Amino acid sequence: MLLVSLLLHLLLPALSYLPFFSQHSIEKPPVYRVNLVNKIVKNPQAGRPEATPVKKKPVVKPKSKPKPKPAVKPKPVPPKPKPIPVKPKPIPPKPKPAKVKPKPAAKVKPVPKKPQPKPAVSRVQKNNLQKRLEQMRAAKQKKASEQARKDRIAALKAAALAESSNIRSPIDAAPVGMADGTGNEAGVSAIAFVQEFIQQQWSFSKYQATGAPEAEVKLFYNAEGTLLHYKFLKKSENSIFDDSLLRAIAKSRQLPQELPEAMSFEIVFNLKDMLAKP
Amino acid sequence: MKHFKIYFLNIMIVCLLCSPAVAARIEISSPGEQTIPLAMTRLLPMGVGGAQPAIAAEFQQVLQGDLELSGLFDLTDPAAFLSDAGKLGLRRNEIDFYQWRMLGAEGLIKGGYRIAGGKLTIELRLFDVISQRLLTGRRYSGKLTDVRKIAHTFADQVLKSLTGEKGPFATKIAYISKRTGHKELYLMDVDGYKPVRLTNHRSIVLNPDFSPTRKELIFTSYSQENPDLYRKEIYTGRESRVSLKPGLNIGGRYSPDGREIALTLSKDKNSEIYLLGTDGTIHRRLTNHYSIDVDPSWSPEGDRIAFVSDRRGNPNIFIVDVHTLEVTRLTFEGKYNATPAWSPKGGRIAYSRMDNGVFNVFTIREDGTDERQLTFGSGSKEHPRWSPDGRFLVYSNDLQDGEKSIWIMRADGTGGRKISARGGHDSHPAWSHRW
Repeated sequence: MLLVSLLLHLLLPALSYLPFFSQHSIEKPPVYRVNLVNKIVKNPQAGRPEATPVKKKPVVKPKSKPKPKPAVKPKPVPPKPKPIPVKPKPIPPKPKPAKVKPKPAAKVKPVPKKPQPKPAVSRVQKNNLQKRLEQMRAAKQKKASEQARKDRIAALKAAALAESSNIRSPIDAAPVGMADGTGNEAGVSAIAFVQEFIQQQWSFSKYQATGAPEAEVKLFYNAEGTLLHYKFLKKSENSIFDDSLLRAIAKSRQLPQELPEAMSFEIVFNLKDMLAKP
Repeated sequence: MKHFKIYFLNIMIVCLLCSPAVAARIEISSPGEQTIPLAMTRLLPMGVGGAQPAIAAEFQQVLQGDLELSGLFDLTDPAAFLSDAGKLGLRRNEIDFYQWRMLGAEGLIKGGYRIAGGKLTIELRLFDVISQRLLTGRRYSGKLTDVRKIAHTFADQVLKSLTGEKGPFATKIAYISKRTGHKELYLMDVDGYKPVRLTNHRSIVLNPDFSPTRKELIFTSYSQENPDLYRKEIYTGRESRVSLKPGLNIGGRYSPDGREIALTLSKDKNSEIYLLGTDGTIHRRLTNHYSIDVDPSWSPEGDRIAFVSDRRGNPNIFIVDVHTLEVTRLTFEGKYNATPAWSPKGGRIAYSRMDNGVFNVFTIREDGTDERQLTFGSGSKEHPRWSPDGRFLVYSNDLQDGEKSIWIMRADGTGGRKISARGGHDSHPAWSHRW
């Protein structure tokens, strides 16, 4: 029985080489950046992860067809004048006597009468008008401040978007994908996305660096992109460096996009690239 | 056999269950943000004592200046601050960290002050916004005039919390100034504030250096006709001549333990580097060459000294081993390399090199590799000296208007700023140890 147990224990290391026990191999950090606006897909196509997604808006262009409408509008205008010259023809003989009579009468009567009713009506109207004007002004101000607020938010959003899509692709008009993509979906891989996102959350100054610290952290995300838990596989022995990683992890609690499935990432953090710069 | 099969199956199941989910391995070899986003609120009055906005403003200006010079931080624009900035909450549970996180800050400095009976008390806190943790908290008490000192001291503390090593902002810089018409020794704060004249020799004073263990300086003065080495106690003002050998007694530098002084003497008609006791007695001659050997600078371990020699034709930097007296050449580029200063953290040596009649500051590794030019431009930048933490360099800058002034910069050459006031023709700076 002991022999069997021994044999079985010896078998275990051999079993670990079977295909269903996958081997971990560290992926060399890619030299490209990832535009975080790009969608995470399971099978990214060949392309550039930093490329800006092309919006297919040319479909909207047919709207330009209604533009000729203004040309149609003038058309009804010319017919209008046509009846006008017809109507005046019978009118001219009538006004002639009418014009003569009212002139003297109207000159005397309306002058004293008009001032009397005007104040009575205009006070109420004026009050109403003023109220309406005030309401309109208030509504206008509210609308303006609301618009200003919306503009500010839009400007902030635009700035944030510009910031996030600040990465310029070296290849113009490249399709969104991965450099080694073999799939058929326009988007980026979850690994590349997570790498870029967590890197952006990580703040550490070269003036804090001493030696060549390196730490390894395992992060577990669910399919919604929520960090379930994490653990340090290796600490750097530099508490300042490790604290900066904790902050980066805390800021990465929620990914801005969903993942294709629940995933875990073993991330090696170091300062190789930063310290290589003079 | 049946038992064996079951046993094997069980082991397989356990192995499968215990094996971790496939984890993608990635490497992040550079942070995305290479400064720490820090928000610093204005000091608010504590208690019922009268508010003195000038105190808060001065404190803010000094602390901000120090933190900006460090190069560590990206300070959040106060115009973006939300309501929490107006609240004097110095405890974790009194702070709305969410507001600060929305502004992108990772660090937050909050503080309050109280003035009672002419005594100033300032309470300060540095929080980690992300983990909502208190990183450091201090209460300082002093006179109203101590507000700048308190700001510098807290800046040092902030750097200690975020880098593991204190900053050098609460230290002093000695320098030579000609504002009285004579070259005299002065002392000022690291930001150039509060310059104080220490000597009144009405002659030429040169080359100051701070004792690493006591509040005293050594310097060379021509006040007795000969360039002799003097020592001056800063607070008592007591002064004495340490070395008055015939000829030069110049470029004195304390050893890291403060027990010896490396000095250039020309008592034998040729300038050589010697080791002296602090009482002025000669302990040892370090160089013995017909050329001119000047400007010694100790390694932080105290086992080697960098100096300038023209033994190969042009002035260059050499290193002598204090124990074996073996001399090795450090610089090969350029025709005129002078005034070496060994970083107190080791590793690099700063010096000035003249090209086309203009000096600029360079650094080089102590093995002679990785030479880097730190300053550029037309004015001569000379006499570099390190801050006690090795993060900064102070140097004299002779701008084209004919006015020499004292400048400060980070050890990588960035963030250069003038610290001495106009009209002094200031040179030969030296940075004190921890004050």
